[in-house]
Amino acid sequence: MRRLWAWGAFLLGLLYFVLPLVGMTEFSLKMRRGEYSFDAYAKVLGDPRFQETFSYSVVMALFTIAFGVLLVVPTAYWVRLKVPRARPWIEFVTLLPLVIPAIVIVFGYIRLYNTSSWLPLTGSATGTNVLLMFGYATLALPYMYRAVDTGLRTIDVATLTEAAQSLGAGWGTILARVILPNVLVAVLSGAFLTFAIVIGEFTMAALLNRPAFGPYMQLLGANRAYEPAALAVISFSITWLCMGLIQIVSRLAPKPPSQPN
Amino acid sequence: MSESFLSIRSVRKSFGATTVVQDFNLDVAPGEFVSFLGPSGCGKTTVLRMVAGFETPTSGAIVVAGKDVTRLRPNQRNIGMVFQSYALFPNLTVAQNVGFGLKVAGMGKADIDARVKEMLALIKLPEFGDRYPYQLSGGQQQRVALARALAPKPKLLLLDEPLSALDAKVRVSLRDEIRLIQKNLGITTIFVTHDQEEALSISDRIVVMYGGKAEQVGAPFEIYNRPQTRFVANFVGTLNVLEGTVSDAAAGKVALAAGEITLPGRLDGARNGEAVSLALRPEAISLGEKAGADTRLAGQIADVHFLGSVIRVKVAVGDNVVSLDTFNSPSAPPPEIGQPTGISFAASDLLLLR
Repeated sequence: MRRLWAWGAFLLGLLYFVLPLVGMTEFSLKMRRGEYSFDAYAKVLGDPRFQETFSYSVVMALFTIAFGVLLVVPTAYWVRLKVPRARPWIEFVTLLPLVIPAIVIVFGYIRLYNTSSWLPLTGSATGTNVLLMFGYATLALPYMYRAVDTGLRTIDVATLTEAAQSLGAGWGTILARVILPNVLVAVLSGAFLTFAIVIGEFTMAALLNRPAFGPYMQLLGANRAYEPAALAVISFSITWLCMGLIQIVSRLAPKPPSQPN
Repeated sequence: MSESFLSIRSVRKSFGATTVVQDFNLDVAPGEFVSFLGPSGCGKTTVLRMVAGFETPTSGAIVVAGKDVTRLRPNQRNIGMVFQSYALFPNLTVAQNVGFGLKVAGMGKADIDARVKEMLALIKLPEFGDRYPYQLSGGQQQRVALARALAPKPKLLLLDEPLSALDAKVRVSLRDEIRLIQKNLGITTIFVTHDQEEALSISDRIVVMYGGKAEQVGAPFEIYNRPQTRFVANFVGTLNVLEGTVSDAAAGKVALAAGEITLPGRLDGARNGEAVSLALRPEAISLGEKAGADTRLAGQIADVHFLGSVIRVKVAVGDNVVSLDTFNSPSAPPPEIGQPTGISFAASDLLLLR
């Protein structure tokens, strides 16, 4: 009886999540009257603006990931190693982007870094791109920090550090050759989540007026019927691909050795 | 002692208001194997970590091979260390682990390969180079950790309870192996342990630590047979303590509930009526009469533990219960509980704890 309820709840959840997706996918295939086709997809993929905005967002995602890794890995490592008492505070700070809306952050940026400020980042395309990348890194911070921190929890950071130090390694070598390779899977998980966030982000890119994929999806949705559905399916597929890659790389992680009791 | 290779001079270490190591002094000769022995929290690991550079002394100095290393970073000291938890790098193979220090030092690949091969042969794991740490047993991992620490030819080897996590059989064999390798290489070694048998069996000298201080420093024989403090006497080995009162200080007589013991010339400075504790190792006591024994006390068998080759017998002597060991003999059954008996020993074997 209990199993029946469990299956019932599972099926209900499945219908709740899957039915809208099925409906949307079916709709995206109905561009040609009376038959299913990939016309909407062909149109979207052939649109030069799609290619431009998608490429822009991919490049931005890569920069955001690189910046996130450089910021988060040493920070999480240092906090675990030297100031473990600061962990709750750092966790609190990294959670802030979840409670502060992106629009608040981007207005703060615009106010701080406008053309008449002491650091006029919005005065040039490169400056605005840098600003947008920082914004994306902020949005991805809760996920990236948690992923890396969880990875660090699986290894004995302090003893491995001391072992490397006793063998003559400096901080750079320890981070690059000991810590990073052992949390690489966690870093990749954080990287894929960051990628998924950047690809779909709208608010920051729109308000900073950058040609990103998020604003393109919104623009298309406001003016077309079938293409936005096809675009949403493509966007979902990218997210799911990222999730799938996280699962795959998790299995490639270096196995921890047997630990003494 | 010959000229010291490692010199720890008046080292003190405090964490906030708590002083964990106070006025610690030690000179270690080249090639010497010294063990720090003591209970948890006695400061032995803290001293080791200060030598390694992971902790900075609050005051005092640490000199290695004539060079003051007190303020040097751990990676500048060329001191090898083996940890209780092995601390092998999980992402590297055995060979890469052993070669890590050599690579960091900028050694060429051919030289690294040759040295790694030599080290793997030394720890008798020549075929294990391509394996990962998770594919090794605890004992094998610790041997790899030893090879990794020795590969860069450190000036000093520090072993932080390296055997504590291993099972009894592996512990004994690896203990002997460590000592053999240490002797062959002639490397000055500090070994931290809370296991007295380990310390007694492999050390040139032992530093018994308690409350952040070195209670006694000496050769294992000296530490075991001539403990200088009550703590050392109690901590190292099994000890029977007979509580008594000085009855005639000039004649060296101590009154026990079960009789009187004479300790000629050993009660100088004692007052009549002063309470004293007399300690005796189980192996110094015989059940019944023993040739050469000058002291006899009457008692009763209180308990018998058959341990295989040895039988541990507890004898009630007045208010005290003493343990003694006798060898098992297939033709003589163990004594019965409650059976009246006597014990004998040489008074010169008694340790006076005041």
